[in-house]
Amino acid sequence: MRTWYGRSGFAALVTLIIVYSLFPFYWVFKSSMESSAALNQPTSSLLPNQWTWTHYQAIFAVANFLRPLLNSMFVAAAATLISVIVGAMAAYGLARMPIWGKTLILGFILLVSFFPQIAMVGPLFLVFRHLHWLNTYQSLIIPYLILAMPITIWILTAFFSQIPIDIEEAAMMDGASIPATILKVFFPIAMPGIFTAAILGFLLSWNDFLFALSFIHSPSMQTVPLALVNFRNAYYVHYGQIYAGVVVASLPIALVVLFLQRRIEAGLTAGSVKG
Amino acid sequence: MHDLTKFRKSGIGVLSATLLVTTLAGCGSTAQSKNVTLVFATQGLGTEAKATTAAVSAFEKIHPHIHVKIETLSASSNNAYQSLLNDFTSGSTTPDVITSDVIWPATFAAAKWILPLNQFHPKLGAFFPGMVKAGQYQGKLYAMPWFINVEGLYYRTNLVKTPPKTFAQLISDAHKAMAKNPKLMGLAFEGNKYEGAVTVFQDVSGGFGGSFLNAQGKPVLNSPQNIAALTWLNNAIKTGLSPKATTTWEEGNVQQAFLSGSAVFATNWPYLYPLAEASGSAVKGQVGFVPPPVQNGKPTASLGGDSLVINKNTKYPKQSWELIKYLTSASTMTHRALISGDPPARTDAYTSSLLKVAPWFKQEETVYKYATPRPVTPLYPRISAKIQEALSATYSGQLSPTKALDQAQAAVKAIMKNGN
Amino acid sequence: MATKVASRPTPAPVPSPRRRLSYTTSRIIVGYLLVTPALLILAMISLYPLIYNLVLSTRYDVLTQPGTQHFLGLANYRQILTDVNFWADMLRTGFFMVVSVGLEFVVGLILALVVNQKFKARGLVRASILIPWAIPTAVAALLWRMFFDTRSGFVDFALQALHLPGANLVWFNSPTLAWVPIILSDMWKNTPFIALLLLAGLQTIPQEIYESARIDGANAWQAFRRLTMPLLRPAIMVALIFRTLSALLVFDAVYVLTGGGPGQSTEVVAYYDWYKYLVDLNFGAGAAVAVIITIVALVLAALYVRLLRQRGGFMS
Repeated sequence: MRTWYGRSGFAALVTLIIVYSLFPFYWVFKSSMESSAALNQPTSSLLPNQWTWTHYQAIFAVANFLRPLLNSMFVAAAATLISVIVGAMAAYGLARMPIWGKTLILGFILLVSFFPQIAMVGPLFLVFRHLHWLNTYQSLIIPYLILAMPITIWILTAFFSQIPIDIEEAAMMDGASIPATILKVFFPIAMPGIFTAAILGFLLSWNDFLFALSFIHSPSMQTVPLALVNFRNAYYVHYGQIYAGVVVASLPIALVVLFLQRRIEAGLTAGSVKG
Repeated sequence: MHDLTKFRKSGIGVLSATLLVTTLAGCGSTAQSKNVTLVFATQGLGTEAKATTAAVSAFEKIHPHIHVKIETLSASSNNAYQSLLNDFTSGSTTPDVITSDVIWPATFAAAKWILPLNQFHPKLGAFFPGMVKAGQYQGKLYAMPWFINVEGLYYRTNLVKTPPKTFAQLISDAHKAMAKNPKLMGLAFEGNKYEGAVTVFQDVSGGFGGSFLNAQGKPVLNSPQNIAALTWLNNAIKTGLSPKATTTWEEGNVQQAFLSGSAVFATNWPYLYPLAEASGSAVKGQVGFVPPPVQNGKPTASLGGDSLVINKNTKYPKQSWELIKYLTSASTMTHRALISGDPPARTDAYTSSLLKVAPWFKQEETVYKYATPRPVTPLYPRISAKIQEALSATYSGQLSPTKALDQAQAAVKAIMKNGN
Repeated sequence: MATKVASRPTPAPVPSPRRRLSYTTSRIIVGYLLVTPALLILAMISLYPLIYNLVLSTRYDVLTQPGTQHFLGLANYRQILTDVNFWADMLRTGFFMVVSVGLEFVVGLILALVVNQKFKARGLVRASILIPWAIPTAVAALLWRMFFDTRSGFVDFALQALHLPGANLVWFNSPTLAWVPIILSDMWKNTPFIALLLLAGLQTIPQEIYESARIDGANAWQAFRRLTMPLLRPAIMVALIFRTLSALLVFDAVYVLTGGGPGQSTEVVAYYDWYKYLVDLNFGAGAAVAVIITIVALVLAALYVRLLRQRGGFMS
């Protein structure tokens, strides 16, 4: 590090890391700007041969890509909301209340998050079919709870444990009831942790492909990943549209990560490493 | 319902009067004037959707008491199939009328999910026999042919004087053209691991005198004819007649290769013809569409296309049949062909006015004669999956054609023995 | 576990002052009340399918053959455990687990060591590493399909520009090369996660011990081997088991990139199960595969839970 070659070697390594992480995005952006004809030719340049927005126009005008964007946002937000409310309650109980079996409960929750999703597909398919719930929002929100809730509980339990208990005790001494203490005194302090848990729950739900592929049949109900994979008609795969869609769907997520990087990192490592 | 919109312009009074009349009519129990809403589940976007909407509105004009709600299924065949399965297995009464890929009716019929149509005494004389055959299961008709589709052979009339009759001719024709222009590829075909590869293989297999099932319905995938056919396709890749990338190609890629003028021959469906003849196409005026060649066999063009079926649980079987009858009438089909280019499934729909606007249908018709359905059995999806694996394993050099087809034969035998 | 909690008698939800329950008792009751909904929901979505699978796996249940469902005993298991394709898929899944997790670990460790240094653009680097992690797996796979496209892909372009062999390869038609995009797309998406866990582990190592090691004359490599690696071991174990487990269930990337092809050369066990369930619509056989996968996953998970416990319990 101290020598010049050490420094430049390190700089090269850092550059390499950034390129490795971000270059695929550039390439997909570049491809999204090419005409369909150019996409079928061997690439000759790092820059697009021409700049065309036709694929972007097409995904909204023809393929109605707004719909899957809204679908994805809705189901991920709903699953996150439920997970955070129910998970915060559980985390409060685990972090604050003198119940026994905490280790077992947290162990069970961890085990649940390891439960193979593929093994849930069949039974949930049959149950949803019986309830006439296939191809509905709830057929996604329900399985997404298992993606979002365990990590929510783990993050919040770790976070809540770090908040000094004195504040709540003082409030209760003043005669506030337990619910009032929790709602009025505790949660305002806990908001950052809850926010972190919400981001991660949302991203994990947003990530799903398997459940959407298995339970969603109609074009109007598709989530973003499913819609992108299905950007085709009977004969023709619209590569240009797929790439434009990937760009549109990735941009907000990339911005979220850029701005909330610290929180996401803290959330991801909470519970699993800090112990 | 639909007819009311016309009146809306002529004032509220008329509208409410009409409403009153319809309501009263609804109260009376005369079945004829009862308003019903049919749900019609269909695939297709763009011009196909336009054609469907136009046909349905025309139908509603003739049958003012039948309203048709169009439910568009996913363009992905797998998703659409799942969606229908979901409706069927839950015993849903809708959709009433369903657009079915030609390979589905056997499965639906075996599961008793769709109505046999013989009770309606359909007149089938004008339809292409292959299409009719694909809609029959255990002696009964379950699916009315709607539009036909065949995997045929495209060639460039400026590069190949007369279309090849044999596979050997195809190779020599292609090599001649490639010798003049080394940038050309000889044959573009669908080689990816998916259903389209099976239709190409069926074309070649038939040409070599093979078939997937024998006359008794027993699998004969590893017959010498099939092995010869797969060997021929595999050699096309190995010898450079087809580009290596063809092993990952689907219709869209073949389309690109042919339309850009870089292929001498290509296998594909009729939809490609109007695109090739469109203004601005690099191959305009140089396109021929013929039945695939033969070698000891007979010309075989794998049958695709869509037919119409009726949900067994429908509340309105009669009205559903009326809709199907209308959609499969010659004039509706002609109209659809004009809007969307979907080739009619009956010969009398190819009117002179249609042929004037779309002259390629004339040439396409010669291929429809050789339309051959894929095996009509409820187990077809499973059989096809095994064939797809065998083709893909061969093209990627993992197995010899003989070995791959031996394995597929054993697997399909087991599937047909177990019934699943 | 969950049922035990749920079936506990739960008196008045919010203890009113008049009842005069002891402070601790009321807190215990409220505690369980708070935990119960989460446990119920999680049990319903995970344990219920598990039990359903156990029942279903003993039955003949093919969706396209209504009215033919019946008890089969262990026949579904027998059929699957004697299916060469199943074992081939298990083997391929194992191969994928070892290769992808191994590579992800090495690259993740390098990433963690780099961002553990103090340098100017550190925040930017940390964020750019994290972005791929936030992209849905299926979308990441689409992105890498583009990269390896034979016509407009970057890989072809780069190999050609550098005059390296391998240009014009049809990656997706080779039983071995088809794994490259799958593994790279999996690495790209998941290495950030490993790097993060390792980074968190690195940051718990006090700097002083490196100081004293340097005074003792240890060079950087020795310090890394003798100090960093042993102290990082818990974090490494956690990261490896987490990733191994999700690699066992790899599905999205395979579905999007290769569909298990060419032939069956990239077919993995989760794909095998999905196919049985939703393409063959054979829910009995699908359930049997699911049970087998669940057992393997739970054994791995139990190992993880044990390792965590050895490190002093879940709670700080």
